[in-house]
Amino acid sequence: MSIEMKQRPEKIRLNVYRFDPEVDKAPRIDSFDVPWVDGMTVLDTLFYVLEKRDGSLAFRYSCREGICGACAMYINGSHRLACETQVARLLDEGHAEVRVMPLPHLPVIKDLVVDMTRFWENYEAIAPWIVTRSADPEKEHLQSPEDRKLVDEYVGCILCGSCFSSCPSVWTGKEYLGPNALMKTWRWVADTRDSAAEERLGLVGNERGAWRCHTVFNCVEACPKDINQTTAIQGLKRRTVGAMLRGSKALKAGRKALER
Amino acid sequence: MYQPVASREVRYGDLDLWPTRLKTGFWAWLLHRITGLLMVFYLFLHIIVISSVLWGTGSFDAVMDVLKKPVFAAGEMLLVSAVIYHGLNGIRVILFDVGIGIKNQKALFWAAFALAVVGFFWALKVFWPLIFG
Repeated sequence: MSIEMKQRPEKIRLNVYRFDPEVDKAPRIDSFDVPWVDGMTVLDTLFYVLEKRDGSLAFRYSCREGICGACAMYINGSHRLACETQVARLLDEGHAEVRVMPLPHLPVIKDLVVDMTRFWENYEAIAPWIVTRSADPEKEHLQSPEDRKLVDEYVGCILCGSCFSSCPSVWTGKEYLGPNALMKTWRWVADTRDSAAEERLGLVGNERGAWRCHTVFNCVEACPKDINQTTAIQGLKRRTVGAMLRGSKALKAGRKALER
Repeated sequence: MYQPVASREVRYGDLDLWPTRLKTGFWAWLLHRITGLLMVFYLFLHIIVISSVLWGTGSFDAVMDVLKKPVFAAGEMLLVSAVIYHGLNGIRVILFDVGIGIKNQKALFWAAFALAVVGFFWALKVFWPLIFG
């Protein structure tokens, strides 16, 4: 089998969202022609603009290999990681040009850089660390491969904010924790080493948390790591109802019970 | 906590940010919301219409005569269709709450939608003589 190389254009048109709220009255789109390089990603085209055309272009990036989650953007009508999106793939999808926008529904600080404050505050609010009641082991908390499989999918989250930006409940409910924080709560509730499951359920079993999820599945569509957040959030709902029916007192423990 | 000097939310109007990413699950939810609101609207309408009996049977009969008009029959047909979709998709959402079919949500939507279309044509058949007869 030989690899069939498709005929590619000599250069590709890149359209980028530009907006500096301190200076500009309204956002605009700047267009650049970027010379074609085989294997080029959308992040590469942004680098080309930054280095050769316009040094004032602002965007976030770090690892360039899809594990840091910094470069999540709204590329050609979908949430994608700029570093993992091949321009060739966009062409194969039928797009003639590359169009890069900041994550929707988040405040823009400059160009493609969005304000993720709410996202991080929500993540902090769910106490995303292990809480154990037993004495600390000498080395580490051991976990069997079977138990680890329960949380495998959710550990793979890179905190890029795509799900948060795609969720209608986040758009309309400023208090809502969002799919990421809820999924991460489930990651600890389902973790067999953690012993504060019901305290955690108490944090999210309210209208600010799991019950505001209307199973719209936008987060599942947006996630660049193919995580199914809805499965996790529905698990939270089920476990919360169970704990409430049992009259669990831990549900009312509050955030302080989870502090280290 | 870090605060940017200036920032603004990106909205639909800002240079075609209309989300093409909205897929099956979103439309299923939106249709569920719209049909749900329709039913709430109908409930109030129903209470107002029925309460006309407070002014005697004559006033009730007069209102019922008005409701026999084809336009109201057509409205009832749409209401029945909305109820059928809302009920079927409601079963889909209940299944998610029990933990069934979350990963097959698209197939479940299309199954519910197909049954709702069948229900629409059934309602059309039943209401046809009232609308056009």
